[in-house]
Amino acid sequence: MEARKRLNSRAFADDAAEEMVTSRSFWADARLRFFRNRMAVFSLFMLFCLFLFALFGHLLAQWNYEEIDWSVLGKVKTEGGPSLSNGHYFGVDELGRDLYARVVQGTRTSLLVGFVAGPAAVILGAILGALSGYFGGRLDQTVLGFYTIWISIPYIIFFVVWQAFFGRSLGQMILVIILVNWTAGLLIVRGQVMMLKNREFVDAARLLGMSDMAIIFKHLMPNILWVIVIYTSLVIPEVIMAESLVSFLGVGIQEPNTSWGALISEGARTMTFGTTWQLMFPAMFFVIAQVSLFYIGDGLRDALDPKER
Amino acid sequence: MTPHPKPPLLSVRNLSIRFRTGDGMVHAVNDVSFDITRGQKLAVVGESGSGKSQIALSIMGLLARNAQAEGEILFDGSNLLKLPTSELNNIRAREIGIIFQDPMSSLNPYMTIERQLGEIVELHEGASRSTARKRALEVMDAVRIPDARNRLKSYAHEFSGGMRQRVVIAMALMCQPKLILADEPTTALDVTVQAQIMQLLDDIQRDLGTSIVLITHDLGLVAGFCEDTLVLYGGRIMEQAPTLEIFEKPGHPYTRGLLRAVPNIGDPAAKLLAIPGSPPNQRRAIASCPFHPRCVDAVTDCAEKLPQLDGGNSKRACLRPVEELT
Amino acid sequence: MLNYTLRRLFTVIPILLVLIIFSFYLMRLAPGGPFTSERPLPAAVMANVLERYGLDEPLHVQLWTYIKNIVFHFDFGPSFSQKDRTVNDVIAQGFPVTLTYGFWSAVFVLVCGVPLGVIAALRHNSFWDYTMTGLAIFSQIFPNFVLAPLMVLLFTLSWGLLPGGGWNGGQWQYVIMPAVALGTSYMAGVARLTRGSMLEVLGSPFIRTARAKGLPERTIIIRHALKPALLPTLTYMGPVFVYMITGSVFIDVFFSTGGIGQDFIDGAYSRDYSILLGLAILYSVLTFTLTLLLDLLYAWIDPKVRSNM
Repeated sequence: MEARKRLNSRAFADDAAEEMVTSRSFWADARLRFFRNRMAVFSLFMLFCLFLFALFGHLLAQWNYEEIDWSVLGKVKTEGGPSLSNGHYFGVDELGRDLYARVVQGTRTSLLVGFVAGPAAVILGAILGALSGYFGGRLDQTVLGFYTIWISIPYIIFFVVWQAFFGRSLGQMILVIILVNWTAGLLIVRGQVMMLKNREFVDAARLLGMSDMAIIFKHLMPNILWVIVIYTSLVIPEVIMAESLVSFLGVGIQEPNTSWGALISEGARTMTFGTTWQLMFPAMFFVIAQVSLFYIGDGLRDALDPKER
Repeated sequence: MTPHPKPPLLSVRNLSIRFRTGDGMVHAVNDVSFDITRGQKLAVVGESGSGKSQIALSIMGLLARNAQAEGEILFDGSNLLKLPTSELNNIRAREIGIIFQDPMSSLNPYMTIERQLGEIVELHEGASRSTARKRALEVMDAVRIPDARNRLKSYAHEFSGGMRQRVVIAMALMCQPKLILADEPTTALDVTVQAQIMQLLDDIQRDLGTSIVLITHDLGLVAGFCEDTLVLYGGRIMEQAPTLEIFEKPGHPYTRGLLRAVPNIGDPAAKLLAIPGSPPNQRRAIASCPFHPRCVDAVTDCAEKLPQLDGGNSKRACLRPVEELT
Repeated sequence: MLNYTLRRLFTVIPILLVLIIFSFYLMRLAPGGPFTSERPLPAAVMANVLERYGLDEPLHVQLWTYIKNIVFHFDFGPSFSQKDRTVNDVIAQGFPVTLTYGFWSAVFVLVCGVPLGVIAALRHNSFWDYTMTGLAIFSQIFPNFVLAPLMVLLFTLSWGLLPGGGWNGGQWQYVIMPAVALGTSYMAGVARLTRGSMLEVLGSPFIRTARAKGLPERTIIIRHALKPALLPTLTYMGPVFVYMITGSVFIDVFFSTGGIGQDFIDGAYSRDYSILLGLAILYSVLTFTLTLLLDLLYAWIDPKVRSNM
């Protein structure tokens, strides 16, 4: 009697769900594993530095990123190089604007796009995946149908068309990136939910009259959070890359705002004139970010994925 | 007058196999010696992890990369453990055939059965494609694969489990080797198919005079098939005797335990007794009887001395005399 | 097999229709068009122009005419921004260029990627193995739009070995850099994947069976291991082709090859509906065709898949 009462209590359903995630101290173990991976920890530190640079880098700048230094304009090749004396640490760009300040601004944009649009896209996909995996039936078919169509569209094409017609603002950029990437992680979350929804703790919760939404978001989602984390870590560098590519093609972020891709693009255009610093500095930041994100993703996968353990 | 002993076909002398792993050495096989004569059927019995499959693999030179084998495996006057791969390749399949336990994964999923059988005789006998096909057909008939002619072009996934195992056996027979190592040939199959496969192996042995080493965990399988049995535990030979004797008066507590764990159809009321405890930790070389922690008859000495394999026709490795065992 | 091919072709048609309709309305509903410029045209002239291109009719009529012309006359309509050129002309001129270096790029991906992966697997944990792993990480971090400028910096500006752009009728010197820049990261991906699956196959029971037959190592690898090891690579080539096709947009722009990518971007700038739509359809058709071909190739190689079709 006592036992049955316990089985029928909401606390049991909560506990059982909780147990899958925490009783084996899943996240604590994962954290331990992650922090044992030296490359991942170092990369995390580098990424932290990039964030500091994006947030506070402008405090060190002698110039605003839009401001044109008339004194070097026209002699960028000879006098526009990196120098401490005139305050252009990274030199100036084609139009005589301070490259350091522009790199700070570009880092802001690229990180913002990556760390807002990336997770948002994965979460959108995860929610759709969870709903379609949980309810199945027609909803599932519709979502899968959309998925199939979506992944067979070459995304840059869609991206360029969208950008060309709907402006080049940061908000637009984030929106279109979410639209392009919502499929990431959808299938795996759907699969996980389909697997988990038959477990006892879900039955228990259902018997207690918990709503489907509560079951999905309170009991199922915490158990597949690790999938979402891994996918997010994979999507963020991809998103940064996509943004940069589109900006490189000239249909991304609008001047005078800038991003890594836009800066690399300008640098690549002008390197024939010998102003290679205009390419090297943005490229260096871009590469550091990509390396760090690569190793962080790698470390997260090792720490979280049961198959990798 | 005692009969002149037949010279052994294959002689395993003091074989030890160790694996280098992430957390130290694993001693899979320790100081194992036995002979196989022409036409003999020998069973090697042991639970999983007793090292029985590793013995078969070491004879074929197929041990994993992190394994080290010591001792000698003498075949035709040469030590197989020391032979370079190129010379070993002349013995593999031609002189010694092997039947692996999982027929599904042991067959190449992307080659037709004909090619997988045929390439063996093409390699070892220089046969042409058409000769190879003819030979494959003969052998498939011999292992009683129905409608062999039409199945030559089939792939492994198109066969049933039992048929697949027959293909694997056919593979071992292609060159009519002197010795066949059958590593759990029936584990993956259901009981009726098991009986058919064992019958098939028996016929092959009778018709071709092939020696067979049957490696299994299933004592029931051994009873009707092999003249001699070798019981392995923790990588050591516990007992080696004619099969009849093993069943009638087992001389080792482990063998006795194994027999008690076999269901008896004649006496359904008889209790099935599991051997308490779990197989030994093989991380370190042990200088005591590996079975003593689980042995009902163990005395203090058992934990301190390594019993030697002793005796004439039936050998046993136990410190206590047979009469004292429960 | 034929049945399967036909079924696949039929699923492509609705996807293409959705794509056309979606892009069509997306472009038309967006503010601005090919004839809106800073100095507005006189109303009479504007009406004249619109009538000439059929832009004065209701949208769904325009859509219908557009689809009808494609289906029945294979006519993608006139370009709005380039006088006296039709979209068909643009494709006829640019597509062969893109296809040429795209083909060589695919050859480069396979001819270098597969052997590299196989060698790394066979010499597991050796110099080659580490070189390859390094290369794989390198190429993940240097996407084509960073790699291409760096290549030009080295091979053109510093060493003067190769032309930094142009096409010149497809002379080999002009093809190399576009093909390599487009393919490098996928080449490394192919190598990494091949290495992984080769390692897995070499450890599998049927390779042990092949060894037990006494076959020499070379025969084992060529006859038994290569095919199963390459199947995952083949599956991976699908997405690779898709990315290469979209990546070619960038290559066309950066190396000024005169391929369709440049027209596509120009079309985006000038809001040239017909060019954008035509090229988007072309890119999509190319994507579908290549993935279908790959799937058929896969089925042809894998007996299990073949018997399920």
